[in-house]
Amino acid sequence: MTGEVVYEIKNASKRYGSVIALDGASLKIHAGEVVGLVGDNGAGKSTLVKVLSGAHQPDGGQMFLDGKEVRWDSPRQALEAGVETLYQDSGLAPHLTVSQNVFLGREVTVKGILGWMGFLNKKKMEHDAHRDLEAVGIAVPASNRAVSQLSGGQRQAVAIGRAVAWAQKVIILDEPTNHLGARQANEVLNIIRNAKAKGLGVIFISHTLPHVLEVTDRIVVLRLGRIVKDAPTSDFNGDTLIGTITGTIQTIKVEGD
Amino acid sequence: MTDSNQASAFKEQTPFRAKISSLFSNQSVVLVITLIVLGAFFQWGSEGTFLHMDLLGTIMDQWGSYILIAVGQLFVVITGGIDLSVGSTVSLSSVVAGWFVVQQMHKGPEVTGGAAIPYILLIALICLLVGLVVGLVNSWLINQLKIVPFIATLATMGASNGIAVMISVGMPLQGPNDWDLGNPWKIGDFTLPFSTMVLAATFITAVVGLFLHKSRFGLHTYALGSNAFATRGAGISVQKQVVKVYMLSGGLAGLAGAYSYVRLGAGSNTSGMGMELYAIAAVVIGGASLMGGVGRIIGICLGTLVLFVVQSGLLTMTVVQVSPDLKQVIVAILIASAVAVQTLQNKNGRK
Repeated sequence: MTGEVVYEIKNASKRYGSVIALDGASLKIHAGEVVGLVGDNGAGKSTLVKVLSGAHQPDGGQMFLDGKEVRWDSPRQALEAGVETLYQDSGLAPHLTVSQNVFLGREVTVKGILGWMGFLNKKKMEHDAHRDLEAVGIAVPASNRAVSQLSGGQRQAVAIGRAVAWAQKVIILDEPTNHLGARQANEVLNIIRNAKAKGLGVIFISHTLPHVLEVTDRIVVLRLGRIVKDAPTSDFNGDTLIGTITGTIQTIKVEGD
Repeated sequence: MTDSNQASAFKEQTPFRAKISSLFSNQSVVLVITLIVLGAFFQWGSEGTFLHMDLLGTIMDQWGSYILIAVGQLFVVITGGIDLSVGSTVSLSSVVAGWFVVQQMHKGPEVTGGAAIPYILLIALICLLVGLVVGLVNSWLINQLKIVPFIATLATMGASNGIAVMISVGMPLQGPNDWDLGNPWKIGDFTLPFSTMVLAATFITAVVGLFLHKSRFGLHTYALGSNAFATRGAGISVQKQVVKVYMLSGGLAGLAGAYSYVRLGAGSNTSGMGMELYAIAAVVIGGASLMGGVGRIIGICLGTLVLFVVQSGLLTMTVVQVSPDLKQVIVAILIASAVAVQTLQNKNGRK
């Protein structure tokens, strides 16, 4: 079902002063696979996300995209290489329209000298934004409306849709179902399934364990900067997952029922 | 376009009353109505002398001398910043240009008419460069030293002013000038309410406005003020955008310095005194939010016009005598009401 390894991080470490945030973490993501990344607060999830998305550089370790070793000096490089990240609660500029947000940083300009001066092709962007969001399963009211006029769920849908629409290889979603109602959260999980069907490698970070159990193929548990468990989702149930996260289940072996 | 169908679906839920209220929440409509009311009031208060081409020409001349710094301020305010240095930049740029032409090239006020045009263009160029440098310094203080815009531009405001006094020794530097540039146009005996200078300022405003509303640069300006974190996340360099925006504000202030040079026929260290407050007032009255992300060129053009219609109008009042000193108070009331209207609109609108 899942394809080749698309993104890999090997033996990554990162310290902030005397705090060891990541301690030799290794992780593989396959194309068309949803990997859940879970762990308690301070377990190193955010640090791992920042390293994977190019926001921070690891102190040690290697990263491979499509088998080739890569190194990100900025999030822009990761974006251009096909690794898209949706940060927690940061997604959109509320004063801009849906299409302006979807195309922010990748604007389409008109042809000719005006395009060289940066003049925008608004119609094409509005049309394409609508089409692209629909393609990933989002029914957005109108792409020329300001994001501030959308509901919280619609905003989050646009933010994720934007990331899924642009992602070429990997998409990292940091707490995408935070603050959402049950129905809206379900829509977000559907978008994740769409991204998987599109052949993207998806990294899904969440505290909402039922969502993780529902949508992922594999779960990676971080504790104190180390990956303590990396197993198919079918190996977990709610209790064993919590036990692994908190450390009450110490070993690699999962308690059977 | 398929989008417009959906947009109209949203409009269906707005009955007549909501339509009216949405019309009034449009700042430009409010400002046009304000201007009409003010015009009628002053026409009555001045016993029919207010709506006269000479006075309208004076108002437009003041508008032209302030609109460039108001437009620059608009860009800065949209990013969520503020530029207090624009008034001092007007003074400094006109002084530096005057110093160069008068004291280095030894050309004085005896050069007039067409012969002065090349010198005026040179002065405009020097003014522009000085303004760009001030803007660059502002953005350096903000980006590299991480000083908040208010303090960073307060520092350059003081420094520019000081340098302007040092260069000019407190005296106006009289140089070549073509007074026709600042005089109103005429068709036969009929006086039009604008000069070549006003037209030039209007043209620059229109071009810059197109960039604000139609170009990538403008979009990134709004994005930065709306959500800097998301802007960075979209791969846009926030620091480069800050450099561009403050250099634009500085450059326009420099051009306003050239405008003031042509008006006075001299570079003077007092020519921009207090202008930054009017620029900020015009931007706020014009509907921009000091929180960033909001503001339109047309609103700022109208907001600047309201400021000077009020000031000139008060002086023409004959029905009731108004002390010229009162205009400061009136401007203050205008600013306060503009902010109050904004707050009310935000309450009514969806968050």
